[in-house]
Amino acid sequence: MKLRHSGYIIVTAALAIALVSCGKKEDTTSETPAATTAPAGQPVDAATAGTITGTIKLDGTPPAPGKISMAAEAYCAQQHPTPVPAEDVVVGPGGTLANAVVYISDDMSKWATTIPSTPAVIDQKGCMYHPHVVAMVAGQQLQITNSDQTTHNIHPLPKDNAEWNLSQPPGSAPMMKTWNRPEDAIAVKCNVHPWMKSYMFAFKNNYFAVTGPDGKYSIANVPPGTYTVTVWQEKYGNKTTSVTVPAKGTATGDVSFNAASGD
Amino acid sequence: MPEPNSPDPIVSKSFSTILLISVFLLMVTVAWSLYDEFFGLRPWRGYQRDFTAAYEKYLTKQIAQEKKTEAAVFAAPDYIQLKSNLDAAQKSVQSADAQLDQQLALLEEQRAAMTPAFQDARGKVVALIYQMEIVPVSDKSGRASRQKDLDEAKNEIHEVEWPTGGGAVEVKKWKYDDLNQTFTDLMAAKAALVVKRADTDTPVKDAQDKLNDYVKRNLPGLSLAALEGLRNSLTTFKVDLRQINVNPTGTMINNLGGAGLVDRCQSCHIAMDPLVVPVTMTLTKADLGMAKSHDAPFTTHPDPELFKFHSLEKFGCSPCHGGNGRALDSVEKAHGRYEHWLWPLNYPENYNAGCQNCHAADMVTEHAEVLNRGRSLYRTRGCIGCHKYAGFDDENERLTATRQQILQLESTKSAYALQIPRLNTQADQASDNTTSHQLRDRALNMTVESAKLDSQIEALDTLSSSLMREVKRVGPDLKEVQMKLRKEWIPVWLAQTHTFRPTTKMPQFRLEPDEIQKIAAFIWQSGITGQTLPNQAAGDANHGKQLIQSRGCMACHSLGEGGNAVGGDYAANLSRVGEKDNYNYLVRWVHNPRERTLPYCPFEKKDITPADYAKHGLPFQFDLDHSRCPNDGHQLEVQQPTIMPSLRLTDSDSRDIASFLVTQKHADATYSAAPFMDDPKFAAAGKALVQHYGCAGCHEISGLEDEGRIGTELTNEGSKPIERLDFARYTEDAKRGIQTNGKPDPRGTWYDAKGFFEAKLVNPAVFDYAKVKPDPMDRLRMPTPNLNDALPGITPKNNLDALTSFLLGSVDPQLPPEYMYKPADRRKAIQEGWWIATKYNCIGCHQIGIGQKTIMQDLPFYQSDAKANLPPSLTSEGARVNPEWLRQFLANPSLSTTDTNKNGVRSYLEVRMPTFFLSDDEVRKLVLFFGALSSQAEPFIPEKRVPLTTAETELARDLFTNPAAPCLKCHATGDPTHDKTATAPNFILAGERLRQPWAERWVTDPAKIIPGTAMPSGLFNRVGDRWVFNGKLPSAFDNYHGDHADLMVRFLLAMTPEEQRRLGGRTPSGGGAAPSGK
Repeated sequence: MKLRHSGYIIVTAALAIALVSCGKKEDTTSETPAATTAPAGQPVDAATAGTITGTIKLDGTPPAPGKISMAAEAYCAQQHPTPVPAEDVVVGPGGTLANAVVYISDDMSKWATTIPSTPAVIDQKGCMYHPHVVAMVAGQQLQITNSDQTTHNIHPLPKDNAEWNLSQPPGSAPMMKTWNRPEDAIAVKCNVHPWMKSYMFAFKNNYFAVTGPDGKYSIANVPPGTYTVTVWQEKYGNKTTSVTVPAKGTATGDVSFNAASGD
Repeated sequence: MPEPNSPDPIVSKSFSTILLISVFLLMVTVAWSLYDEFFGLRPWRGYQRDFTAAYEKYLTKQIAQEKKTEAAVFAAPDYIQLKSNLDAAQKSVQSADAQLDQQLALLEEQRAAMTPAFQDARGKVVALIYQMEIVPVSDKSGRASRQKDLDEAKNEIHEVEWPTGGGAVEVKKWKYDDLNQTFTDLMAAKAALVVKRADTDTPVKDAQDKLNDYVKRNLPGLSLAALEGLRNSLTTFKVDLRQINVNPTGTMINNLGGAGLVDRCQSCHIAMDPLVVPVTMTLTKADLGMAKSHDAPFTTHPDPELFKFHSLEKFGCSPCHGGNGRALDSVEKAHGRYEHWLWPLNYPENYNAGCQNCHAADMVTEHAEVLNRGRSLYRTRGCIGCHKYAGFDDENERLTATRQQILQLESTKSAYALQIPRLNTQADQASDNTTSHQLRDRALNMTVESAKLDSQIEALDTLSSSLMREVKRVGPDLKEVQMKLRKEWIPVWLAQTHTFRPTTKMPQFRLEPDEIQKIAAFIWQSGITGQTLPNQAAGDANHGKQLIQSRGCMACHSLGEGGNAVGGDYAANLSRVGEKDNYNYLVRWVHNPRERTLPYCPFEKKDITPADYAKHGLPFQFDLDHSRCPNDGHQLEVQQPTIMPSLRLTDSDSRDIASFLVTQKHADATYSAAPFMDDPKFAAAGKALVQHYGCAGCHEISGLEDEGRIGTELTNEGSKPIERLDFARYTEDAKRGIQTNGKPDPRGTWYDAKGFFEAKLVNPAVFDYAKVKPDPMDRLRMPTPNLNDALPGITPKNNLDALTSFLLGSVDPQLPPEYMYKPADRRKAIQEGWWIATKYNCIGCHQIGIGQKTIMQDLPFYQSDAKANLPPSLTSEGARVNPEWLRQFLANPSLSTTDTNKNGVRSYLEVRMPTFFLSDDEVRKLVLFFGALSSQAEPFIPEKRVPLTTAETELARDLFTNPAAPCLKCHATGDPTHDKTATAPNFILAGERLRQPWAERWVTDPAKIIPGTAMPSGLFNRVGDRWVFNGKLPSAFDNYHGDHADLMVRFLLAMTPEEQRRLGGRTPSGGGAAPSGK
């Protein structure tokens, strides 16, 4: 009985409060919806844009490159009178590192991205991938050719993109593919020739480059500012440096890996 | 006498104040009742109003968006192209169509013109024929006259105004036969024209289909018209009670038949009404602009997939979610969150509890990950060792029952044995022949009956041997402690179970120091003595470490401590094995964990020693093939009751692994001497304690093999009324929402089943608090379960939620039997199979269910490139392999009796498919399980295989050795040099193992069946209705019009070693060497 009584009192009190606060409704005003379509990004002012260049090197004694054995397939072996060295660390004179991927790792979404109309290219020749490392813009076409007189299968192992594995017999037409999502270091292999290995990068912007045999790279059309530049190397992983690009100027971002510390 | 001047009450007294107060009170109560009517007791009215307003806004926004999208699609060049294609197609057939239509119209006119005359004539003729038929055969003249009438009718001339097109008419004079013929011709001509018209229209139809396809692809979701329809329907929206009523019509609400379900949840959760928000639409609070509101029950169901097999009309809401579906007064009432409602709404972390309501017979329920985890924990963490639960691991009970039956039959048999000679004697001495015959017959019948009993006993014996294989204990066999363990380690382990091994499945018992000593001493002294293991040479620990990584041990076990632990949570963490285990024992264990030191005879209730065998002149040999007791002939327990399978490792590999394991220890670990371990006084006291704490529920212990479970059965624990859950001293605190640590409970109260289970699981002693129990034996004895997990990303809270959900869902069925998920069709095989697939942790290595993750695939060892070395995915196994082959494979995965240190199929994989020593019943269930998962018919009838003709064989060889089909680069051949680099199975196995229809689907697009497989797609191209090889073909194929994939598969399924050897030579550089002699 007592309980019920107090119940009424509570209800009455609630009623009173409700009456007083009548009209004051739950805040349901619609919030501004999150931007569903990202703004296309502003174009870089060519008049002020600068360039980042540099050389990627390996300090210390470079590891002796392993030799690839193609004994499993006579055709492949015939293409190479001398055994092909492994490509995980390709060192030039003075310790320059080829096949390193250099890119601005800051958020660059404010700037417009151009998807090149020409495709990125990878060729299977002499039972090796050329180039060993391919970097492209996400959404850019990728052209895969087979210059060999043997069947290869191209089997990338992406984590964020869709995986596929296709056979490409000799003499077949180039294959056109696209990585629609940005992703780093997609390992690519050929199940038929297990020594064949390549890495692909799909970037969300245009600020990247792959070093040549001289270890040099150049990233052009960079708006002035200070950036974090990340360097990826197949064996030694990632390393970063900071560069400041002056208007119309050139910034240098040299990075050295240490042969001893790498495992 | 009243005073003369006393005032007249009518004049002087006023009731106006009272009246005023009464009027005011009346007004207040009227206002109150009105408020209650519209708001107070009907909160759903407000919800519905809020919802419709927000929903309308949302729809308006969507409509605007859809208009834009539609306009964009209609302006897209592709659309315009398709549209113009359609227009062009329409135009191109216009004249032809018009002509055909004209012809059809004329035919129709002609038909109409002749129909009256034709029908009239036909009616007459048919009637006359009937008249003639009924004339008796003998009445010849009658027949003749009728014949004459008929001939006259047939010769009668009918005039038809026959249209000939363009309005012209010709008068035709036709007899009946002419009419009939003309009509038939007319119909045939019309049918031909209709077909022709459809043919002409094909391009239009194709173009239309393409356009529709394009629109469907680019405008997914609800169309503009549908969205507008929804918005328009809101104008007539009526704020009203909405309910799902699952009852036979006419039954009263208080006397419900059927499901007895009345759910009014949609009255507030209005977006769940499919008439308001279509099921294909998803609506979030953010969509309605209420992202931050805590009082907006307007989202659509997060897993609409569930409605495909749980229709709202049949299941409503409360059977899955709990709550009081009928209540509408308040959120608390509706959600059943008050003391007198037995089934409160499940909290989000326990949503899966609702599934168990009907899915109590499942081990794995799709869409119910939390529940599945709870069930699995209940089994693997040993809850089942003390708490019986219907359907869970009842092999031991069945085994006991079987043995009882055997004993009973045996006693009947011995009774017969006594009676038969007695009856025979009586028969010999009977006074007359009739009696003698009767007695003799009885004796004979009894003899035959006795022989029948023998076969019955034999069958039960086989069953018991099968069940013995199936009985697995959660913890290790403690009979072998003296051979296996370091003596001083046992008391340390009992005292600090969870400190020593933080992820162990063994719970932590609350033991007094003297209890520990007694229990440890008993365990030690009850172990087998006098048996020694052979001394093993030291192995290569580094190689052992590699093997542990690569052979698949980590799918169950983990290595590394704390945050560094890597591996599965199904079996023990091996980090400190070196501190406790004997090397020689480990070698034997790794080599074959099922190997026992002494077999156990359940009838004599003792371990059988070599002496027992010697007494009967038998060699001391016991295994699955030598499993009879030398003393009584019954089935012995010849294996350790561990779940761990044999990996068929060599002796040397076993030594290497054991050598690595003994290095796994803390360098600074010291153990103080424990002299009490050998003190018989301690052991005697320990036995009672071991029984009290139910150790034998999980461990095999000498003398306690038949101990039952000591805990409460939990099958219906979730249905226990709250009064029967003893919160003891915490009853009041729980009601008031004060946690055991004194802090306020975030839920407000924990006086419910959830609160009880969670408190008990975290600290089983909690309800002993503040009770005076001087005798430790009176205290709550449930040990603290280990909720830690070796799997990264699984927190103790996850495990607590999983177990709580499982217990909350363990209820008396509240729905009629037809709601219970006990399928009789192939789903039954799936339901049963999951119990075995989880029991042996098949899912640690193999993907079986689509979307199911394995432990292996997340191990660091198998990332990126090494993915190809993972155990195969089995999502299509039932369609892939011949079930008879699968039966043999499961029984012996090496597919060989001599060469067992390998995988039978994927010999190239480092990871090893173990031998599980499954019982026949388990093998049968697994084979049916895989078949059912792939929708295979049962029983299996092998497909008919069409052998290749000689010509086809030649063609197939060309395909197989074509440079564009480098099959033997990856597929094993049996040649050891070649197979070193092989990454796919040998074709020799294919014929017996694979099913042809699957193999054809596989070679044409393997990535469709197993995404990520090493086998490439694109070996064949689809050309028209056949698969054509993707490569340069020799000219011999010019005249071959068959399917190339079919040809290849038939060839592969018929592959012989000889053929493979020949082709090895033909394949350019492909494994040319001769295969090994096998």
